[in-house]
Amino acid sequence: MDPTDAPPTPARRAGRLAAAAAASLVSLFAAYGLARGIHREAIRSSHQQPTPEDWLDAPAATSPALVAQGRTAFLASCAHCHGIDASGDEGPDLHGLEASDRYILNTILRGVKGEMPSFRKKLRSADIAVLTAYLRSLK
Amino acid sequence: MDRDIWAKMHGASVHFPIALVLVSFALDGAGHLSSRLAVRRGLHAAGYWSMLLGAAGTVPAVVSGLAMTKGVILGHDALRYHHLFAWPAFALIIGIAAWRSLGAGSANERPPLAYVAAAGLAAALVSCAGYWGGEMLIAR
Repeated sequence: MDPTDAPPTPARRAGRLAAAAAASLVSLFAAYGLARGIHREAIRSSHQQPTPEDWLDAPAATSPALVAQGRTAFLASCAHCHGIDASGDEGPDLHGLEASDRYILNTILRGVKGEMPSFRKKLRSADIAVLTAYLRSLK
Repeated sequence: MDRDIWAKMHGASVHFPIALVLVSFALDGAGHLSSRLAVRRGLHAAGYWSMLLGAAGTVPAVVSGLAMTKGVILGHDALRYHHLFAWPAFALIIGIAAWRSLGAGSANERPPLAYVAAAGLAAALVSCAGYWGGEMLIAR
């Protein structure tokens, strides 16, 4: 029999398993911590950052019909980056936006440098109005 | 900076752990089936190093993936399925690499069958994670 094939003692076996479990947990916690840090930084530096504009402009009136139109426009223009339920994919989660209508309008029209293209040529103001209504409906 | 740099880094780094973990499982499995001592030792030594390198390769894969998704841990649709396999695979690969390396006397030591079974599970999980990663590329 190969001497290296000798079964390990119970204490050694337990030590190996404890080390393996500890390494798994540490790696998962490290990944979770890294994910939280990256996510926080992404929110801080993105257009989702709460701004003083939030209290300057009251949100425009909305209705179920506008929200439905906005959902259609969202699926056509935004869902491929923000996800079909707007909970984020390549682009960020759009639920609970803390930004004014004007801020949303400017972001859609101008884009975000290095992150999101401008939709100035693709969307009309009516499209952006219904999109805003849809975004406001996402809690 | 290239806005897709992390996506490219993820694509460049994920294939190493996938391939190495699969190969490690195959080598250790073959080692268990082999009756020739010299061959068995060689297979287990290769399986040992493949698993350690695969585990090391999970780190850049995870870091680049998190940077690419801006810290999304689960997400939705294909990304969610990808993560539901990727996170257990990551933890299991790190765990069994630690199991193999920290307690082992030498690289060519025969690992217990439970280890080979765990490596097989890790290979299956990382393959499923890779499958759903590919589904995201096709969806785009």
